[in-house]
Parts: sequence; C-alpha cells; structure tokens
Amino acid sequence: MLIVDDEPKIRSALRQALEREVGTIFEASNGRDAISIAEQKRPAVVIIDLGLPDMEGIDVCRTIRAWSSVPILVLSARTDEQEKASLLEAGADDYITKPFSTVELRARVRAAVRRSQMVPVPGTDAPIVIGDLVIDTARRVVTSAGADVHLTPTEWGLLRVLVANAGKPVTHERLFQAVWGQAEGDVQLYLRVYVAHLRRKLEGDSYRPRLILTEPGVGYRFTLPA
Amino acid sequence: MEMLSTAGVGTLTTRMQRWVIAFVVLAALTGAMLAVRADLDKAHVALLFLLVVLVGSSIDGSVLGLMLAGCAFLLFDWFFVPPYNTLGVTNPLDWLVLVSFLITSVVAAQLLAHAQRRAEEALARTREVERFSTLGAETLNAADPVEALAAIAEVIRATLAVDSCDIYVHRGKEADLELLAHAAAPKVIRSASTVGRASGLLAWVGGRREMAVERQDGTVSVGASAEEAGAGARSNELHSAWFLSWGDIADARAIAIPLTVQGRSVGVLRVANEPHVDLAPGQRAFLNALSYYAALGVERVQLTTDASHTATLRDMDRLKNALLAAVSHDLRTPLTTVKALAHAIVEQGASPGDSNAISIEEEADRLTSLITDLLDYSRLTGGALQLVPQIESADDLIGAALAAARGILESRSVRVTDDASAVMLLGRFDFVHSVRALVNLIENAAKYSAPGTPIEIGVQRDGAHLVISVSDRGAGVDAADQERIFQPFYRATGVAPCAHGVGLGLAIARGLATAQGGDVTYAARPGGGSVFSLLLPAAEQPLLPPE
Repeated sequence: MLIVDDEPKIRSALRQALEREVGTIFEASNGRDAISIAEQKRPAVVIIDLGLPDMEGIDVCRTIRAWSSVPILVLSARTDEQEKASLLEAGADDYITKPFSTVELRARVRAAVRRSQMVPVPGTDAPIVIGDLVIDTARRVVTSAGADVHLTPTEWGLLRVLVANAGKPVTHERLFQAVWGQAEGDVQLYLRVYVAHLRRKLEGDSYRPRLILTEPGVGYRFTLPA
Repeated sequence: MEMLSTAGVGTLTTRMQRWVIAFVVLAALTGAMLAVRADLDKAHVALLFLLVVLVGSSIDGSVLGLMLAGCAFLLFDWFFVPPYNTLGVTNPLDWLVLVSFLITSVVAAQLLAHAQRRAEEALARTREVERFSTLGAETLNAADPVEALAAIAEVIRATLAVDSCDIYVHRGKEADLELLAHAAAPKVIRSASTVGRASGLLAWVGGRREMAVERQDGTVSVGASAEEAGAGARSNELHSAWFLSWGDIADARAIAIPLTVQGRSVGVLRVANEPHVDLAPGQRAFLNALSYYAALGVERVQLTTDASHTATLRDMDRLKNALLAAVSHDLRTPLTTVKALAHAIVEQGASPGDSNAISIEEEADRLTSLITDLLDYSRLTGGALQLVPQIESADDLIGAALAAARGILESRSVRVTDDASAVMLLGRFDFVHSVRALVNLIENAAKYSAPGTPIEIGVQRDGAHLVISVSDRGAGVDAADQERIFQPFYRATGVAPCAHGVGLGLAIARGLATAQGGDVTYAARPGGGSVFSLLLPAAEQPLLPPE
C-alpha cells in the first residue's frame, strides 16, 4: 500500500497501525512522489493526507483516479463536509477524520481492499442476504422473512446505486444524478423522503439504521453488517 | 443670425449708450433723407424708418422700439408728408400711409422683442440642461465618488459665479461635519478660520435640516424646516418654495443648505461670495436643484465607504476562518500521532506500560473533544459559522446523532418515540451542525444521569418548529440555574467534575440552534429528570411525483 503524508510521524504511526494488514508499504511525502509511486508500484490501496506541501490532495486523487481504480482513502483534519463530498466526487473511495481510531482505520482499509478485489461479473450479482432480508438487484426482488417487499421504481433506483457502492459513501450529488438525472428543484427533498421510505421498508427501526447509514453533510452509505 | 449678433452688440454697451446710438441713427437718417427728399417716395421713407425701429427693438427690447416708432411717426409726418414742416396733411389718403406705418412699426417692434426674449430663454435653458447633464454624468460616472463630489461643487460654484462652494458630510454623530469637497474661484484663498467660524451654524443646518443665510453684519437668518412645512413631502420642494419666496438676500455673505436624501440629512452645502451672494430667482431655483445632485453625490460617497467597510469585515471573517482551520489542523495532527502510537503500544503485548498507554489514548480522545468544543465555540462567537440549511428529515438527524453518540451511550437504553400519525417529519436546517447540537444534548443527558437509567428521545412537529426532545432521569436542574446552564463554561454545582467537557456542550448546542432559527430549551421532567428540547425550523411534507 501507499501512504502519502508530509508528516514523518504520522507516516510512521500509520505504518505501525497497518503493517499487519497489508503487504509492502511505500511512503511518499508529497503529491508528485505519490503519483509516480502509485504508477510504478501499483499499490493495493492509497492513503492520502490532505494538506500536502506541493499539491492539493484532491488533485492527487483526480490524477491517480484518471488511470487507476486503486481504492483511495483520504485523511482529513478538516471538518468541512463540502470538501469531503468533493473529494469523493474527485475519485476518493472513503475518508477518515483525524484523529482516527486505529480500529476504524483498519476496518476501512480492509473493506476498501476487499471491494477492489471483488470483480463484478454482469448479470451474476448474487443476492445480498442480511438476516431475514434478501435483496436481489438482478431480479429486482426484495423479500423480508420470505414475504415480498414492494419497492417503487424510485426506491429501486436509489437502492441499486447504494448497493452497487456498498461500503462506500455515496454523495448526495451522485444520488441526485443517478436517480433523478438532475440536482435541481425538489430532489433534495425527494432524496430525504425516499431514503426514509427505504429504511422503513428494509430496516426495523428507521432511527437506528443498520443498512443505509447517513454520512452527515456528505451522503449515504450502504453497509453490510459484519 | 442678425438678431443674435445685435444681441451680442447689446451686451457690450450700456443701455444709455444704446438709446443714444439709436436716436443718433434716427436723426442722421432723417437728415440724409431730407437732403434727397425730392427724389424719395413715401414708401422709401416708411421702409427706412421701419428698419431703424426694428434694429432699435432688437438691441434693447420693445420699449426702445416703441419710442423710435413714435418719433419716426412724427418725423415722417413733419418732414416727408406735404405740407412739409407741419403735422397736418393735404391729401387725406396720407393719413392712411402714416397710420399704417405707425401700426406696422409698433407691431413689428413688439414681435421682434418677443421673439428675441424667447430665443434668449431657450439659450439659457439649453445651458442649464447642459450643466445638469454634466452634473449627472459627474455624479454617476466618476470612478472615485469623492472626486465626483468635488466636480459637483465646482459646477455649482462656476454656474452661480460665486467665490466658493463647500460640501460637508456627517461623520458618525450628526453634529460632526467634515469638509469633503471644496471648490473655490482662483482668486479666493480659503482661510481655516472661515470654516471654523461657520461650523457651528453648519452643524445646526444639518441637524435641523433648515437653510440659513449668513449676513454681512454677522447676523444669521434661518428658514422653515422640512418638519414644520409638513412631513412626507420631498424636502427639496419645500426648501424651494421657501427659498424662492425669501425676498432680498442682497446682504448675504454665505448660504447654507441642508442636503437630504429621502428626508435623511446627509450633509450641508455652503456657497459663499465676497462681498455678497446675490442670486436671481432663476439661480436660486438652480441652486436648489443642484443641491439635490450634491446630496446624491454625498450619499454615493457614504455607500462606497460602507461597501469597503463591509469588504474589510468579510476579509477579516475569511482570515478568521482560515486561522481556525489552520489551528484545527495543527492541533489534530500531533493528536493523531499520539493516539495511533498509544494504540500501537497497547496492541504490542502485555507489559507494565499498557495501562499508561490506554490512558494516553483516552486522554488524546478527551483533548480532541475539548479542541473541537473550543473551535466550535469560537466559530459561533466569532461569526465564522457557515450554515448550509437544506431540507432534511428528522429520521436522518436522530439516526446520525445516535450513531455519533454510540461511544458515549454504550449499553444505555435509548428509546425513540415519534408521533405515530405523522408520515414523516421534515425540517430546513444545517444537518451537520444540528447533529452536533443533538449529540451534545444526548451526551449531556448521559453525563448527568445514572448509567443504568434510560434516555428517551421524542420527535414532533410544533407549529413552525420541529421539536426533538432528549429526556433523562437525572437530578434535573434547579430553577435558579435553568438559564445559567446554557452559559459557556458553566458546570453544574454539586456534581463531581466528570471526565469530559469544559462546560461548552449546552452553550454550543443552543448557539448552533439559534443561529439557524431554532433554539434549545430546558424543562423539568415530571417524575424527576430533565427534558432538553432542540427546536429547528420545520418544513412541509412534499407531494411526491406519481410513480
């Protein structure tokens, strides 16, 4: 994997936290080195700290994403949600706010690597089974304890995008475009309403979602309970 | 053309000279015609006399024309109508000639004088329009509004042909006047003492919105104020009516006029001339109209100043935000290292250092939340809070807050109750900051109630607000402290200082809520405990498009 951070101590802390998770760890202290290492060494996952001396983190994401599908995790000290959303739009897979917990960091890295290793074969999407709930996106069928759960076309559209990006935060913007084809007008409101509808149909308690999690200020994330 | 050129001649000589010249010409013409009287027809005489009458009328108006016509009539009769050298006539038909000549001369003289007056008026209007348009362009186009104001002062001074024209503006207090534009004729050297002496009167003019005249003997006359003349009317017209009817101001040394925009005093205009300001009624009307341009000019200067002040404030806000972001980054980076390394030590195996490492990790977390509190609080009080209000659902808000408070709630039982009849509750608020406010209330409830006791969250619509209540079974808050708990750095008395927080949680929650049109309120809970309610602006349930 590749760790990009201008602080040697953070690089060292990240290395200690992650060296048992992944294979070889490369380090880069600036954006230019990060891009060339990513190109030559083909790491399985990239962790980028924002606030690099030579480039904006978002530009590093965009450059790497232009030719590679390697999962990119962004470390952010800032709490600016707008920035997180634009990082995701630029190709980052996930973000973690500093200071992070080592346990959570490992889980995110593991999930990102697992996602990138799953090769999707069209038409052979296996149904997702979560306890009593079965979501079969290929056949457009959802059953709860054997009984059909009826979803409207919009609810299906929403669920399909979330499931296709399972584990990753999906920005509001992306959901607007994927489901309604536009980000204008009342879609803001529709999104909130249809997410709530989906939760009420798929999850027992809409105040304690386990599947469709809210990423405050950024979007939603479909998670598979471990 | 001839008319204009004779008018030009007229301006060069005095009235007496013009009259003398006219009668000399009449006499000379009479003499010349007498010399060749035998060869002249009556028509020749009549036409030549008419010419003199018309020229006279054109150089000095109809009075001279009529006088010349009367004299020419008598001369015609005396010298050129037989019998000569008497006023009588032999042929009665000659009376017809004489009377026709008289009537023609009189009518022609008057028509000519009238036409000329109209032409002069038209010329004066053209000049006035030119001045106004110059002034309008100066007021609106000049890049620097202060320069524009100086140009306006100069136009007023030049148009009225006075020594100086000054424009004063209010700065801060109304009584505080500052000279912003000064136009003076080249011969005038302004002495500071002139301004100094006048300033008390000028402040009075600006404050009372009344005109004032400084007389040569040092006395001052003041006019009716806008209020006395009737509120609501355009003060300019009021001044105008009063000013125009003000009779003689021949001994005025200076005139001070309040400058008002929409009834608000913005400054004072002062015109001064040595030995006296003598304004004809037309010039008074002109000055009155010009003062409105000056008022607009002053207004523009002040708006521009305000705008640059606002820009400065915005720059300061940006700086403050940048500073907070940098501080946030600089504090979190070492904390990240401390936390990660402490965790690594904990993981590396059982050794005597383990419990210390666990403490380090916990303290790092605590420091992080303290820093977050302090930064949030300084954002709130420093006006650097950026809110993005959007349509959001109560489901999302409560769900995200419970997820964020997971670590604090641990195994606490939390029950969420909503109004079963409501389909879905929506609001218009900033999601991130509202989650933070709600998390603070949940943390507060967890902190001040016994570990085993349940926390209840309720959500309902109450009028224009979405109300999310957090109820605990803690000790509650004394009536005396119910407002103080929302003050920053307040810590409940009689409660052991707990591990987390500096007493900013409730202050931040309330600050975040009020910043977006909501509030945080406290109520004692029946049966013991507290109910903290987060109020946020509610939104209506939409009509969804059919599917």
